[in-house]
Amino acid sequence: MKKKSFTMVDVRHQRVLLIWAAAIVVYGVIFYYLPLAGWLMAFQDFKPVTGIFHSKFIGLDKFIRLFSDATFLRVIRNTLAMGVINLAVTFFMAILFAILLNEVASKGGKKVVQTISYLPHFLSWIIVTGILHDALSGTGIINQVLVNLNVIDQPINFFAHEQYFWPIVAFANVWKETGWNAIIYLAAITAIDPSLYEAASIDGAGRWQKIKNVTLPGIKPTIMILLLMNVGNVLNAGFEIQYLLGNGLVVNVSQTIDIYVLKWGISQGDYALGTAAGIFKSVVSIVLIVVCNHIAKKHGEERLF
Amino acid sequence: MKKKIVSVLLVATMLSTMVSGCGKTAGSGGTVNAEGIKEFTAFFAVPGSEINDDNEVQKLIAEKTGCKVKETWLTGQTAEEAVGTLIAGGEYPDFIDGGNGSVQLYEAGALVPLDDYIDKYPNIKEFFTEQEWDQLRQSDGHIYWIPQFSNIYGEERACTHNDEAFWIQTRVLEWAGYPEIHTMDQYFDLIEDYYEANPTMEDGTENIPYTILCDDWRYFCLENAPEFLDGYPNDGSVIVDPDTLTVIDYNTTDTAVKYFKKLNEEYKKGIVDPESFTQTYDEYIAKLSTGRVLGMIDQWWDFAYTAEDAIKSAGLDDQGCQYVPLPITIEEGMTNQWHNSGGVLNVSSGLAITTSCQDVEGALQFVNDLLGQEVHDLRFWGVEGTDYLVGDDGMYYRTQEMRDQASDTAYKASHTCSYSYFPQWTGTSRDGKNAMKSDGQETEFYDGLSDSIKKCFDAYGVKTYVEMLGTSPAPGSWYPMYTFSSSMTTSTPGGTAWTLMGEIKHQYLPKVVMADDFDAGWDEYMKAYNECHPEDFISEMQTELERRVAEAAKYE
Repeated sequence: MKKKSFTMVDVRHQRVLLIWAAAIVVYGVIFYYLPLAGWLMAFQDFKPVTGIFHSKFIGLDKFIRLFSDATFLRVIRNTLAMGVINLAVTFFMAILFAILLNEVASKGGKKVVQTISYLPHFLSWIIVTGILHDALSGTGIINQVLVNLNVIDQPINFFAHEQYFWPIVAFANVWKETGWNAIIYLAAITAIDPSLYEAASIDGAGRWQKIKNVTLPGIKPTIMILLLMNVGNVLNAGFEIQYLLGNGLVVNVSQTIDIYVLKWGISQGDYALGTAAGIFKSVVSIVLIVVCNHIAKKHGEERLF
Repeated sequence: MKKKIVSVLLVATMLSTMVSGCGKTAGSGGTVNAEGIKEFTAFFAVPGSEINDDNEVQKLIAEKTGCKVKETWLTGQTAEEAVGTLIAGGEYPDFIDGGNGSVQLYEAGALVPLDDYIDKYPNIKEFFTEQEWDQLRQSDGHIYWIPQFSNIYGEERACTHNDEAFWIQTRVLEWAGYPEIHTMDQYFDLIEDYYEANPTMEDGTENIPYTILCDDWRYFCLENAPEFLDGYPNDGSVIVDPDTLTVIDYNTTDTAVKYFKKLNEEYKKGIVDPESFTQTYDEYIAKLSTGRVLGMIDQWWDFAYTAEDAIKSAGLDDQGCQYVPLPITIEEGMTNQWHNSGGVLNVSSGLAITTSCQDVEGALQFVNDLLGQEVHDLRFWGVEGTDYLVGDDGMYYRTQEMRDQASDTAYKASHTCSYSYFPQWTGTSRDGKNAMKSDGQETEFYDGLSDSIKKCFDAYGVKTYVEMLGTSPAPGSWYPMYTFSSSMTTSTPGGTAWTLMGEIKHQYLPKVVMADDFDAGWDEYMKAYNECHPEDFISEMQTELERRVAEAAKYE
């Protein structure tokens, strides 16, 4: 594309837009770029009393401390593991749910199911964890069902064993978010040209064939964009659910980077260490997005930038 | 469009890592409202219940003192988190008690030194001796906070055992004919026998023989019994041998092994509640409130005002579901020190005034007024004629109706205002007769007990909870050592060790209790424990012990 020179006439024509743009730029600078100065804390022996301007500069000490801490490495592992599991499971379930819902012929039934399924999205995690705690307790419904079906002899204490923790978190995420995430795919499916389905029918395609050859390719751009955006969110594997469901017995698998930041940065008052851990998280997230975007570009798929 | 999504996303992730620490703004500091009453704000880093805005006693106190304080409490956070957030924001309420985060507040320069003011306020000055005031000085030589509790005026008047103990329901003792229980083995034998004979409550609910609260900092219910079982008092984080003045780690003593081994055996027998280590504090209190739990270790204040009150108001006291403490040690014939007489000066935290407060003198005047006898009576007895009556002999007493309303939650919110985290006295009132607080008034205390507790006390020939345990004087000038350990931060090797030890204990102690093979589980625990370098912690505690002993010697 050839660059066109920008004249005063253009300025006059677009003055309203320019004023809006200026306002947005000022907003962005104040609320997004200035706070970045807080990152300086990670390179200082930061004390609240001396503040960001008079604390001692210590270079990368905090980062070295961070990566020589076995707990932090474990915390990264937990965050990545839970992030990837949650992403894979919720992503898959949302698409599956949207497609299945789309196949429901009864309009009323579809509406009811859709509404009910996205309601859990509006519950706060404290309520969801409360329900989970009750349902999975020794006398809770899950154990009662399992015992009555003779699957197990004794109630299982789900929160006392490390191997159950990640699946519980994944399940909770699926239950809470599937309905909500499916909305966007449903919208994408509605946007598919009905004539494509008609054409497929004429060609003798059955339901399964139509899903495979019309619906899925139709929502592929949406899937790619959402996948890319979610990959950047992998390290936001969660804070509340792990914080609220965790206990001493499962601490090895339950702590995430966010909990680590809270514990060391806020509780122990080591703001520098907390900031360093936060920077690490942001940088990894950015790298993940850039890499995935690059891969998508290479394969000629839809991409973010 | 795509670009925009990306930049918003990037920026959002960045923002999530920001902790901004700049910009100090003033607090509300003694603004005068329309009625000419000064209003202050206060934050206490402990859970508590807020009172109504039109609270009656608060209004009376405001009329007398010209001041009113809006109190807020910890909700859903730890003390350190709440304090850390305040410091990061740089804005404080007028009054604050940072609990375990107090030292952080001091280090952040958020508190006003009080030593220059104290002499001007006679009631505050009187609150501590010169020696005690000196103990409160921080590393820069100034006093920043006033510990509120456990300060005795005149003669001590203790009826409740406010501290830790092995508790048991009176129905278990009654069923067994009120036996003398002195050891852990006897305690668990009794519970096992009772549970075998009575697997359910009267209404068919299944009994839970023994549960252990293990939620966050409240895991003392699991963790620190070995010090008491060996006959030592609640130094909290360590044992202090009073003869040699050395610090002993109670986590590794033979008694600790015996205690956890016993718990392990009882766990395998199904006596220890399998949900012990995963239940939250709320679930634990709910469980206790149903009256199903036969026994547990806990601090009285941790369950009395919630679960014990719930048991009472549900009428379960008739079934003997209330708890009494037992004098348990590891062997027969040892002196127990579950209860100590005398006040405890907890130097690690207290009521402080922040730099955001613009009227420090007004704030201190209010604290001074709260300690005056008339206002103190309003705080802890209530309004004469409504909350208590005065006998011909000048002694305060309550009718049953008054007692019932005093424990009613709605009434407490609308009527009672004890400013419970402001300095307060226990012991005897300045009139020389009454107790400073209603729970110290012996006759009133006994009359207010339920029949099942009275019956139990009569059977053991005692009148109070304290007499169930017996009492010993505080062991020495260093006591209690936990006031030092709870102010440790990770800036020293000892403090770091202390934090790590806590984490390891949180993780491994439940595993040890639940282990199929106790010895293997214990060895694994000890291996992880020793990697925390507990010796760094112990040596810093030893230094502090010696410092305290030397400091105290100056005043003898």
